Amino acid sequence: MMANEFLFETVNLSKHFGALAAVDDVNLQIRRNTLHAIIGPNGAGKTTLFNLLSGNLKPTSGKVFYNGNDITGQPIHRMIHIGIGRSFQITNVFPNLTVFENIRLASQAMEKGNFRFLTDASRLKKCEERAWAVAEKVGLKEKAFSPARMLPHGDQRKLELGMILAPDPSVLLLDEPTAGMAAEQVPELIKLIREVQADGNKTVVLVEHNMNVVMSISDTITVMNLGKKLAEGSPEQITSNKEVQTAYLGGLYEL
Amino acid sequence: MNKPRVSFFREYRTILIFFLVMLVLPFIIGLFEGSTPELVWNNQGTYSKFIQGLLIEIFILALFAMSYDLLFGITGLLSFGHAMFFASAAYATGMLLKFTSFPFWVVLVLIFVLSVAQALLFSLVLPRVKGITFALVTLGMASVFHIVVTSTDLSKYTGSDVGLQGYPVPAFFNASAEKLRFYLIALFILVVTYILYKSFVKSPTGRVCVAIRENEGRAMMLGFNTANFKILAMIISSFTAAVAGTLHALYQPAIIPSIADLGFTVTGLLIVLIGGVGTLSGAIIGAFVYKLLDFGLRRFIGEGASFFLGAVYVVFVLFIPYGIVGTWMVRRLGWNQACKQGWQRLLRVFKSPPKD
Ligand SMILES: Nc1ncnc2c1ncn2[C@@H]1O[C@H](COP(=O)(O)OP(=O)(O)O)[C@@H](O)[C@H]1O
Ligand SMILES: [Mg+2]
Repeated sequence: MMANEFLFETVNLSKHFGALAAVDDVNLQIRRNTLHAIIGPNGAGKTTLFNLLSGNLKPTSGKVFYNGNDITGQPIHRMIHIGIGRSFQITNVFPNLTVFENIRLASQAMEKGNFRFLTDASRLKKCEERAWAVAEKVGLKEKAFSPARMLPHGDQRKLELGMILAPDPSVLLLDEPTAGMAAEQVPELIKLIREVQADGNKTVVLVEHNMNVVMSISDTITVMNLGKKLAEGSPEQITSNKEVQTAYLGGLYEL
Repeated sequence: MNKPRVSFFREYRTILIFFLVMLVLPFIIGLFEGSTPELVWNNQGTYSKFIQGLLIEIFILALFAMSYDLLFGITGLLSFGHAMFFASAAYATGMLLKFTSFPFWVVLVLIFVLSVAQALLFSLVLPRVKGITFALVTLGMASVFHIVVTSTDLSKYTGSDVGLQGYPVPAFFNASAEKLRFYLIALFILVVTYILYKSFVKSPTGRVCVAIRENEGRAMMLGFNTANFKILAMIISSFTAAVAGTLHALYQPAIIPSIADLGFTVTGLLIVLIGGVGTLSGAIIGAFVYKLLDFGLRRFIGEGASFFLGAVYVVFVLFIPYGIVGTWMVRRLGWNQACKQGWQRLLRVFKSPPKD
């Protein structure tokens, strides 16, 4: 039953940091091939939830199912190989390597031949081609040879996205991909995410603060507050939900 | 858009020039003291032989430092126990030659096995401890080794404080009879190791090692089982240090325990810092600077040189954190920027990875 409809499913998932329940008994289902947004005020537990889904954190209790399989406690490096890709709210790249090398490494991980000592890495032709294609897609082809740390913030966000696109995962966990980006760059990036999701038959789980964006691109929205799921539904349902409006939307964000 | 592939000779031009220069140097020095190339070839010429001896020591140091750079500069692992890799191979060479009648190739095989075993021993703790803690654990392990080789109970085998002496060296590697041959062997091993190391860094595996240095958590997220890559780097490094240690044992008349202590690891680290962390060629240049300074100052100032040397190194590392080769590579930045960025780069090893 789980295997068919939902790609991701969490069962009574909790994560405590000391006395704080950052994620508190969350049951979340993410439908295959949809764009599922998770919103909520800062500190609601969205990043922590992502860390539990992606294996970066072990839950205090509860389980995570992916494709019907229990993946709770799988090592982090297995995740991308079973199809789960994740990007970070705080840019998390290889600062002294070039943009190209960052993306190329992301695709190299999916190849056989990681244990080759003396042949040049550029001989992995498929990887090279993939990396160039992705660099172009995220609009970083011109800056391919500059070190990642030299990129302006907006480009670092694009690189972060490039590194999750390169291995071509079936689910993309995107933690505030537009965080700190200049407003005029946001639509372009969102369009790209939507494109990738639509024509690749992919599932996207997105944390995003820009309500216009969330309302326009999401299939489903989950609202979190204080580690708990506050509400869930289509953009229309969320907009009209009184509880959500008073508790969260009305106070913090303009609709 | 791909970078054009360059030919082998183009790519390794500098090291090949170095090789040629070092190849003819003994003969040129011979000419200055009035020995013909033929005499030098037949191991005559006092001054030429003296320089060959000094250079052999430099090559061995460079090999040791390069193996350290693979761990520290390329893979980002800070070890304070690296001297053990070198010293254990040196002691194993001496003891096997002295107390067994194994053919020399068997000795070499055993040393290889020993070096891999030590790398695996260090790797045992790798998944559990990181950064400075890893350094301290490796220091602990190496200290145990140092205590063992200096212990008086075992002095029959190790020579304890006096050192291990009187082991027979195979005629082919006998440096007192055939110094030029030994010189060429050491030079050849150094140059080949450098080329192999350089190609390793460019290989798929090497790229992952660099990624681990840059941001291990992210490398893991990308899907690399980083532990395997670190163990591999450890094995390659340990083996290279063992080769250096074996050469050391064959070249020196005695194996003294100071090659097993923290000081010798620091020597390796210092050479890498002087030459340039993560550059590999810096290990060679650093070894030259280190040895020549050490030798020169001891000659002119005597034993007080140590203090002076220490001061020189501190100032050097403080103000040229990228090292000689590294600074050359970032020369466009200007000194101020180079200093600042160089420090950030060095200090990264000590920091724990950022949490998201
Ligand atoms: N590693 C951690 N250790 C302790 N507390 C944490 C840690 N990570 C997050 N928290 C706390 O958990 C709560 C949820 O944080 P987070 O998941 O980052 O929220 P969001 O991403 O929704 O802004 C916050 O109160 C935060 O301070
Ligand atoms: Mg967050």
